[in-house]
Amino acid sequence: MKSKLLKKIRIKFRLNGSQVEVETKPNKRLLDLLRDDLGLTGTKEGCSIGECGACTVLVNGKAVNSCLVLAGEIDGADIITIEGIANNGELHPLQENFLKYGAVQCGFCIPGMILSAYALLSTKRNPDEEEIKEAIAGNLCRCTGYKQIIEAIKHTIEEVNEKQVS
Amino acid sequence: MIQKFNYVAPKSLNSALKILSENKKAKILAGGTDIIPGFHIGSRRFADTELIVDIKKIQNLHSIKERKDFVEIGACVTFSELSENEIIRKYFPLLAKASETIGSVQIRNRATVVGNFVNNAPCADSVPPLLVYDAKIQIQSLKKVREISLQKFLIKPYTTALKKGEIVTKIIIPKPDENFVGDFYKLGRRRAVAISRISLAVLMKKSNDLIDEIRIASGAVTPIGTRLYELEKFAKNKLASSDTFKELAIKLGEKVLEITGLRWSSEYKLPVLQQVFYHLLEKVNQNEK
Repeated sequence: MKSKLLKKIRIKFRLNGSQVEVETKPNKRLLDLLRDDLGLTGTKEGCSIGECGACTVLVNGKAVNSCLVLAGEIDGADIITIEGIANNGELHPLQENFLKYGAVQCGFCIPGMILSAYALLSTKRNPDEEEIKEAIAGNLCRCTGYKQIIEAIKHTIEEVNEKQVS
Repeated sequence: MIQKFNYVAPKSLNSALKILSENKKAKILAGGTDIIPGFHIGSRRFADTELIVDIKKIQNLHSIKERKDFVEIGACVTFSELSENEIIRKYFPLLAKASETIGSVQIRNRATVVGNFVNNAPCADSVPPLLVYDAKIQIQSLKKVREISLQKFLIKPYTTALKKGEIVTKIIIPKPDENFVGDFYKLGRRRAVAISRISLAVLMKKSNDLIDEIRIASGAVTPIGTRLYELEKFAKNKLASSDTFKELAIKLGEKVLEITGLRWSSEYKLPVLQQVFYHLLEKVNQNEK
């Protein structure tokens, strides 16, 4: 595409609970829109081909790789990034438990890992270990060996369920 | 930054078809899980793209509809939607199983089953199940609507019968005779986010102990997903027994060798292929209705 000009696109969507409207390039990926245009660098760029899950965000409640989505595709959608899951400065129970159970080492995979777990918890009340593993199978971690991550998610499920009972 | 192109998301099929007919360098985007990383790695397959036509805003491409004798799957139905759908699980369990094994949650939430075979990679996991279910597809252009069997649509790796200006709008799969039993097998290097090394689909119908009809399709070990009609013909009316299955497994090895030629990996891959196929046939046979 040498001769023709790129036509900027204007998109409106919900981002972490607030309505936003941005103008951006038509060939921009959601990942780049979040990081470069909106300054939300919690979403990480890893492999950029949909294998590592570091760039996972939620689109309409579903975990997706933001490196595999164009900015234009999210017009009208509801997006949640890692910056959007804490509540008034208080960490989400998943974040608390990742810290508590030593699930974070270098930390690069963690935003994606937490959002995949978050998506699971919002659809299933009591997922078992296999379901947890399946939910995070698209998130690679090269530090922890996953054990502590799975522990942290399990404890969060227990806590959330206890709270609902009491 | 990935290569330059413009982006449009038409709301009706007609306007999408119009845009496609007017732009020779336009590419259709549904799930985007092949094309967007393709841009990122600078794939030559997508290098001349000047316009992306996102078809997800077209409402009637998103549904799975049950009709009297067949089921329709729209072009924008994702693997997550497919594997969770009760109609698909009931009539096409092999397709549901294949859908569950694709990529990861994140991939399945975006990737579409139609995109899987329009991309036509040798390893496309949904293709062997769709082939054994005798799937047809509907293709639309501004001028006409045509239907073609999936097997005929798939020409060679990354090449299909889709012409410029056309969109695959849906898959049409006849409901199989309820006496069919079957299974889908996939071998990857790891469990998730794995490119298939071997994929196989088998549907079998017996009368007494004889094989009344068997449908066999392979993926990844053949250049594209393929029905193995010679094997199917060979098995017809034979006893559904270990001996027949062994013969079929040997024949599959020979057939794959004939199609692909001798490769550096053949020495270890063929025995593995024959073994997993044999076990799959035994499993299907024990799973009788």
